[in-house]
Amino acid sequence: MSYELRDHTADVGIAATAGSLGGVMAALADGMAAAQCDEWPAVGDRFDVEVRAENPEALLFDYLDELIYRRDVLNVLPVDNEATVREAGGEWILEGSAMGVPLDRIHAREIKAVTYSEMRIEETDDEWEAYVVLDV
Amino acid sequence: MADTYDAGDVTLHRVREYVWEIPPEGGMRVPARVLASERLLDEISDDLTLTQIRNTTHLPGIVKHAICMPDGHQGYGFPVGGVAAIDAETGCISPGAVGYDINCGVRMVRTNLEYDDVRGREEELVDALFANVPSGLGGGGVVQTDKSTLEEVLDRGVDWALESGYAVEDDLNHCEDEGVRPESDPDEVSQKAKDRGRQQLGSLGSGNHFLEVQRVTDVFLDDVADAYGLSEDQIVVLIHCGSRGLGHQVCTDYLRDIEREHEDLLNRLPDKELAAAPAGSRLAEDYYHAMGAAINFAWVNRQLIMHRTREVFERVFGRDWEDMGMHLLYDVAHNIAKKEVHEVDGNDQELYVHRKGATRAFPAGRPEVPAAHRDVGQPVIIPGSMGAGSYVLRGGERSMAETFGSTAHGAGRLMSRTQAKNEYWGGDVQDDLREGQQVYVKAQSGATIAEEAPGVYKDVDEVVRVSDELGIGDKVARTFPVCNIKG
Repeated sequence: MSYELRDHTADVGIAATAGSLGGVMAALADGMAAAQCDEWPAVGDRFDVEVRAENPEALLFDYLDELIYRRDVLNVLPVDNEATVREAGGEWILEGSAMGVPLDRIHAREIKAVTYSEMRIEETDDEWEAYVVLDV
Repeated sequence: MADTYDAGDVTLHRVREYVWEIPPEGGMRVPARVLASERLLDEISDDLTLTQIRNTTHLPGIVKHAICMPDGHQGYGFPVGGVAAIDAETGCISPGAVGYDINCGVRMVRTNLEYDDVRGREEELVDALFANVPSGLGGGGVVQTDKSTLEEVLDRGVDWALESGYAVEDDLNHCEDEGVRPESDPDEVSQKAKDRGRQQLGSLGSGNHFLEVQRVTDVFLDDVADAYGLSEDQIVVLIHCGSRGLGHQVCTDYLRDIEREHEDLLNRLPDKELAAAPAGSRLAEDYYHAMGAAINFAWVNRQLIMHRTREVFERVFGRDWEDMGMHLLYDVAHNIAKKEVHEVDGNDQELYVHRKGATRAFPAGRPEVPAAHRDVGQPVIIPGSMGAGSYVLRGGERSMAETFGSTAHGAGRLMSRTQAKNEYWGGDVQDDLREGQQVYVKAQSGATIAEEAPGVYKDVDEVVRVSDELGIGDKVARTFPVCNIKG
């Protein structure tokens, strides 16, 4: 799985690819961390994340929003993200984890929020592609 | 002078000088207007700004025209620099048309110091401000709040700060709405939003937010500058920030709630980020009250930073802040929606006026302008970049007829953050500003300085010139940076 930070006049765009839906969402989460900090030490505790939503786009929105929330209340930058996604009973469920790097160990810039603007999640022949714009 | 401007799939028609219009087509309910010189229009048409301002005209109940200000640029859903006035009874309210950073805004603090009083002490001053004003991620706030304190802040705004010793009565008299939104309701703010806000009250954040010590370099309207207490060579302080994580979460929460509850309306809009609650619906009311609480949070946020700034100046210059005349000139929001009454087709109509990256600019005589400024018109503060000037305007006589009483909010970005980091190195920008322009900059990260380098912004002089020429915001004074701190 991989991500790329893309040009956006005021904010930041992140494009990602991975072999699974969960993988591409985790790659976008890694991109969100990279948009906030250029480098970080390999320290911090892992924490679990579970998000449920009505469709994959809403799931991605809520997942990244949850990571932003954890960042602000735990004072950590979520990095090294892992996620799996499944559908059950018409509901989309993401189960994942991240390592929380303490903010007092790094110089990080703030992403304010996730947006639906230009959001795209697509399955191609052999992988998943996704794009999201984050408010800076 | 051409009568049309071809911007790819969008053609704009010249209404008169600096006023361009995209006529209604497809689902557009009204025209979209762009207020710009051809030079600014070249920049505005270079990204998705025109598509986004056209999309906003699909919102039900929008009246007259959607407006893109001279500093407009691509945002998410609704462009930054956008104004949309929507009927408050039959229309809708859109969190995305306010933006995530509810009541992001600017305040300017006057002093009676002159540039010579600060020259030679810039390093000491910038270090003291940087050490004492929380910025960046995880930097905490000027005050730590408990549950009941936060509820008070959300409910009472700057009135809470007054009671708690962080403000004086005069501060409230020089703030939009006197620093309190009476229609706020903390109960409509989620626990998640409150959790995020608790540790951040009195903090700058990062991105384009900053605190800047400036000197007044030019005065254009002597009588108005005199009424505002501004004169050449005077030192002022400009504070730019918003409602921090609390406001961001309020927008996020209501965007999702509206998406679930008003899917029928959402499906008729060209961009999901424009999600809107119909006027009169439960969510429209709840969002309006939650937004009011976030507005109060932002005003207290800037108030606390001003309080801390006064303390820093007292320590650095060894005088009381009152003795240095550190009074608030004005505090304006530039991400907000408010119920306002405007004349539409000859009749007064109550509207939700959405201003996202646009500043209220009411002229003299309007009852909404605090009494301190009512005779001359509302101050409008337009921050520029670290290497360019900022401006103080006053609400122009034409603003009510042209823009629902609004003007620009800044220089407007020209270059993406990723491109900025490729083109600039934070340390070089910092050195160039200090050696070339005697501007002292301190930030948590060099990347922030690169992302906010002067070259990434439009020409603020041109933005303000167009505002002035249109009569929506009159040039009063220009300022130039002395010290700048950012997250």
